[in-house]
Amino acid sequence: MDQQSLVSLILILLTFALYIGISIYNRAKVTSDFYVASRGIPPFWNGMAIGGDWMSAASFIGMAGTVMMLGYDGLAYIMGWTGGYLLLTFLLAPQLRKYGRFTVPEFIGDRFDSNPARLIAAIATIIISFTYIIGQLSGSGVVIGRLLNLPASSGVMIGVVVIAIYASLGGMKGVTWTQVAQYMILITAYIIPIVFMSLQITGNPLPWLTYGNFVTELGAIDQELGLSEYFAPFDESQRSQFLALLFTLMVGTAALPHVIVRFYTVTTMKAARWSGAWALLFIALLYLSAPAYAAFSRFVIMTQVVGQPIDELPGWTEAWINTGLLEIADTSEDGTLHWEDLFIHEDIVVMATPEIANLGMFVVGLVAAGAMAAALSTAGGLLITISSSFAHDIYYRLLRPNASDKKRLLAGRIAIVASTIAAGVIALDPPGVITQIIAWAFALAGGTFFPVLFLGVWWKRMTAQGAIAGMLGGLGVTLGYIFLSMAGVTLFGIQDTGAGVFGVAANLILVVVVSLLTPAPPQKLQDEAVDLRYPEQMTYKDGEVWINDGSDK
Amino acid sequence: MRKIDKATADKYFRIRTTMIIVFLLIGFSVSYGVAFFAESINASGAMILGMPAHYYMGAQGAVVTFVVLLFLNAIISDYVDKKFGIDEKQNVQISGGASDH
Repeated sequence: MDQQSLVSLILILLTFALYIGISIYNRAKVTSDFYVASRGIPPFWNGMAIGGDWMSAASFIGMAGTVMMLGYDGLAYIMGWTGGYLLLTFLLAPQLRKYGRFTVPEFIGDRFDSNPARLIAAIATIIISFTYIIGQLSGSGVVIGRLLNLPASSGVMIGVVVIAIYASLGGMKGVTWTQVAQYMILITAYIIPIVFMSLQITGNPLPWLTYGNFVTELGAIDQELGLSEYFAPFDESQRSQFLALLFTLMVGTAALPHVIVRFYTVTTMKAARWSGAWALLFIALLYLSAPAYAAFSRFVIMTQVVGQPIDELPGWTEAWINTGLLEIADTSEDGTLHWEDLFIHEDIVVMATPEIANLGMFVVGLVAAGAMAAALSTAGGLLITISSSFAHDIYYRLLRPNASDKKRLLAGRIAIVASTIAAGVIALDPPGVITQIIAWAFALAGGTFFPVLFLGVWWKRMTAQGAIAGMLGGLGVTLGYIFLSMAGVTLFGIQDTGAGVFGVAANLILVVVVSLLTPAPPQKLQDEAVDLRYPEQMTYKDGEVWINDGSDK
Repeated sequence: MRKIDKATADKYFRIRTTMIIVFLLIGFSVSYGVAFFAESINASGAMILGMPAHYYMGAQGAVVTFVVLLFLNAIISDYVDKKFGIDEKQNVQISGGASDH
């Protein structure tokens, strides 16, 4: 093992020890600790935990590379993955918090007083979170594997063991505070290299203000090479695909159960609103930096790699050619490297930047630890969600409503360990590339849940049959479109990653039509829906609104 | 517990809903709106911070707008709550009591 691997390994092990330490300190003692951290997390820290929960291995490692390769078309990911927080914070989170349950399936089951709806929602939650976690585990496997020169599969197994330990010990309470720590590590690791890169190339340490000129310059370089300009819109796909992808990512973000459940951990609707605002601020720090990474790395590649004699490439390229993430060919046989002869894997951008900017071993190790933090923090949140669907929604609410708190806690822990192992086994040989798997999870989440949650919160006339029809129809249409488009059949030029548009539309129509065709729900359920319009202190009952001013105590 | 005028409660709901609609319209126009017209903005040659305007909006402008909207929503909602006599301490107590499902 060389010196660099050793430094990276020590940094990663230190962060692992920190995470396990935090979860031992914040051990879950009752189910309310385990699922919603006793609803006592302050909004600022919850915002930070949402940031960790949200930003995955794909955001950390892959997104900058996606923007670099796709140019303007890659910006759909930047806008979509942040814009979802508008929908979530304005339309869903505060109301779901006032309803006051442990999980998303529990809201759906209780709001419509329907156990079939609860079961469908629980199964859909498990499917969505499972798709998503496979991406995280294979992401962490790639990082560990590359660092220690192990096969990616050993990397996956190491990641799995660490997550299983700290998630099952701490539950949501432990996961919340590890996510806060993971956010701090990942954002530091993400921003340091880009600040130095900006300083070296432009003399200004604020990459967000300086990379603009490079975007324009890249356009000029592309034009000279006869490529379409870097910033030209809809180069790789049609406008309809860009808008459909943007929509799918936004709606999926707002409907991902592992994100929604983070809003259950605060005290009130007001705290939920502030959580959303803090969360997006913390998330934006990374999302605003990704296009800067993209512009600087592309500039370095265009000016220092492309057009150079093949035997005189910069030193940092060699290590990446060896890993297969950078491939060069000499098709024109003139000894010079042309853009067409270069194959760049998306994951290289963030991982190679510290080496390009010559930042030394500590920063390279820090970026590796940051990538692990991004994968683990998201995986931790997902595991809580998967296990709560099994242990809370299916085991406790459907099968054993009389189970004691102790038994429920044990069931939750067993579910976490079991689902970690299952996800780990699948991640050893993941189907498709990471980004694609995750893009599907967004389409599935949006198509299955968004209209049901949105109308469930805002429309009192919605019925259980409507909810069931919407979820099943939305899930079916989304899956169907993904498979059709993979087979080459597309509508309006929209590809598999934009499938959410069709799923959401089908879901929305089914909910409205089926609800109107079935008898109106009981008055009590309708009153509960109206009650969500007001803050906690105001209660809606029998057409009247009461304010609790503490006068009857 | 004290009964309040239904009209007052409706007014609260109407103000909050109007805010949400306005914020979402702004949020959608800086993202979907700009993306929809990206080709003509690119052709017009408009620049922000040294890069083409449509690229700037996708890479920074939309995200910064989203963050500002969320903080405005949190601040203005607190103000509205206060105007309607909502006391956050009471909210905490009430929701705390209802959390053990």
